[in-house]
Amino acid sequence: MEKLLKELQVKIIDVLNLIDVQPEDIGADDRLVGGNLGIDSIDVLEMVIMIEKDYGVKIDNRELGVKVFATLSTLAEYIHVHSTELSN
Amino acid sequence: MGIITSLGNGVSDTRDAIQNSLTGIGPLTLFPTASDQSFPVGEAADLIENEDLPRTHQLARLAAEQAMADAKEAPDAVVMGVTTGGMLTTENLLKKNARDPKLFCLHATGSVSEDIARRYRCTGPALTVSTACSSGAAALKIALEMLRAGSVKRVLAGGADSLCRLTYYGFNALQLIDPEGARPLDSNRRGMSVGEGAAMLLLVADEPDHTVAEVLGAGLSCDAYHPATPHPQGKGALAAMQAAIMDAGISIADIDYINLHGTGTRDNDISEARAIDTLFRGKKPLLSSVKGACGHSLAAAGAIEAVISAISISSSVVPANVGCRRPDPDLKLDPVMQPFQRPIETVLSNSFGFGGNNAAIVLGACGKPNPGRTPADTRPMAILGSACVTGTGRTDRTMGAIAKGKVCAGILDIEEISAHLSAARIRRLKRFPRLALSLAIAAHENSGAGDTPAAIFLGTGWGALSETSDFLTRLFETDEQFPSPTDFIGSVHNAAAGQIAMQFQATGPNLTMTGGDYSFEQSLMAAGLVSRNIRDGFLVVGADESHPQLSRLFDRSVAKSACPADGGGALYLKKGTGKSELTIRSVFFEGCENNPGVISSLIQKIEKQQPLNDRYGLILAGFPAARRSKGEVQLQTLLARTGFNHPVIDYRKLIGEFASASAVAAVMAVKFLQEGRIPEPLCEDKPVELGAKGVLIIGTGDYITAMEVMPQ
Repeated sequence: MEKLLKELQVKIIDVLNLIDVQPEDIGADDRLVGGNLGIDSIDVLEMVIMIEKDYGVKIDNRELGVKVFATLSTLAEYIHVHSTELSN
Repeated sequence: MGIITSLGNGVSDTRDAIQNSLTGIGPLTLFPTASDQSFPVGEAADLIENEDLPRTHQLARLAAEQAMADAKEAPDAVVMGVTTGGMLTTENLLKKNARDPKLFCLHATGSVSEDIARRYRCTGPALTVSTACSSGAAALKIALEMLRAGSVKRVLAGGADSLCRLTYYGFNALQLIDPEGARPLDSNRRGMSVGEGAAMLLLVADEPDHTVAEVLGAGLSCDAYHPATPHPQGKGALAAMQAAIMDAGISIADIDYINLHGTGTRDNDISEARAIDTLFRGKKPLLSSVKGACGHSLAAAGAIEAVISAISISSSVVPANVGCRRPDPDLKLDPVMQPFQRPIETVLSNSFGFGGNNAAIVLGACGKPNPGRTPADTRPMAILGSACVTGTGRTDRTMGAIAKGKVCAGILDIEEISAHLSAARIRRLKRFPRLALSLAIAAHENSGAGDTPAAIFLGTGWGALSETSDFLTRLFETDEQFPSPTDFIGSVHNAAAGQIAMQFQATGPNLTMTGGDYSFEQSLMAAGLVSRNIRDGFLVVGADESHPQLSRLFDRSVAKSACPADGGGALYLKKGTGKSELTIRSVFFEGCENNPGVISSLIQKIEKQQPLNDRYGLILAGFPAARRSKGEVQLQTLLARTGFNHPVIDYRKLIGEFASASAVAAVMAVKFLQEGRIPEPLCEDKPVELGAKGVLIIGTGDYITAMEVMPQ
């Protein structure tokens, strides 16, 4: 899980071109969207694509998205559970 | 008028479909998709496969044929809203790795209106508006203002867009597609169904006997809020509706029916509903969206719905909100659930697009007195500020180099373009929007004005090529699985103008014109036409980016040039003469095909005021490389016939080959006039004072255009 969190921090900065943000700036339990990082609804959609592409996990509606992208932890947890489901 | 959608081909079929509440939404057959990627669309039936003519052009031709069926004379102008243009054909070619620029000659959005103009022997301007989903309605606004200005009597106006992968997968990447098919205003709505189609209306100044309906007024606005999401309270939608009603000279109580934008997305429908609630309070007219029936035909939608509104008036039919089963109580709207017959005299039709780009039009039954008809405003536009970018650098560097007679053509480093832009704002912006935003900010700064621009007019030949290319490349590389939503939003032609609007909170009209080598000229013309009620300043920007692959495929002049170049120019303007010492005006715009007298016509237009030689001390002539020999003959004809004996500068040789190079030429004109003289190296090392004379900026090639910058 720790590894996944670290991996996501790097990927999010890369995919969203977050200028001046370091991986450790994305706290596991900080608000991910609409907070200090400047991540908005378009970024969420960009992350949706990245997560489906890299982890095979689909987040295809907004209600689910709100829950999954609440924090980095909730995102990692969702990926962890659903990518496991997939590989089983 | 003419119309083709998934509901049918022609006014009669469309009327039948509306009266019977039919839907045209069904499975996609145009291109193959993976099974779990297939969503219902509004595909037009019965089009003939034609490899040489892109589908958008075919749709436009069908609609235009119907609109022109009874016309005895050629239209004086063609104005069309187009966003996808030849994209479907381009996608097929790129997938095949085609590399011959000839194959892409109908890619441009502008090639659709040019094709229509050619077919109907229209020798006047063929203008193209690309403001995403409001394009068709915005085109009607421009056409209306042209008629009011009195320079034209007949305008063929409308919109066309075919389905293509870019929009099909793009909207899906934004999670804006309803897998069940669009259900506008429904509690369970999940998005739109992308559609295609075209609609054309022949608008005439005098009312002939067989008039179907009258365009009474139109209003434009911009949310200046978000690149893809409408303002949650519908602020911009409200402003557009209010502007349209005021422009039509009617009151809200006169509206019998509202043809909603009603896409079926959660955000659009709530935003539009709130705007309607604010405007009409408890007295809402009948209302419905037809997008659950024919899908959302993007740039064509505004024109399609104008035709449907006219059908509603002429046939006394109120269309149903097809697709909606249980209206969402949160919307507080009561949509028409079944079509019915009732006399309808006045319709308000809404069209909203990406970039918070809003247009609303009012159509009325003909023969009704229209006391509020607004007269044209032909005041010149005062130049308050200017800025440019070329390969050499920003304004000072470019003008410094030009003053020494040096060539500025090239590609400026993106870091330098972005130097004065906020890092947070440009994080998602690639080359074209950065160029446009940087130019807009610099022109406004140059004015030293305390106010901010209220409206934005942008001309671009090719728009956001990097975003378009990156979207398609990733789409194809990932077997159409993982396209980028950010690139899709950025690929829309008017995304850059939306960014400029957000930068300045510019909530007035926001128009992006895409007319190839004449795009900047078109944006200046549009600014002159729709800026009547704008008391504050407004920006007119022309910009194009050089893209390593696409520029030479799409732009014939770039393909002919050895040196890639890009850049643009921007002017901060205000209607009236104001305190500025300089003004700018679009003087002339005519096509050369079927128009052997085009140069005589130009001379006549100019010399009505003053002999060319007395009025101008300099001509800046633009010869797009692909049309250079033709252009040089055109200019020589002009010079020989008028005896013009002041300097002529071939500006593309200095600035480079890119569609909006004339925007830089306009800035050159401003700077020379501010100095009162033309730099010596540009006139065979002889000092030339401009005195009280102005500068004429001529465009040559397939069209002859003229803009004048004049001292007061």
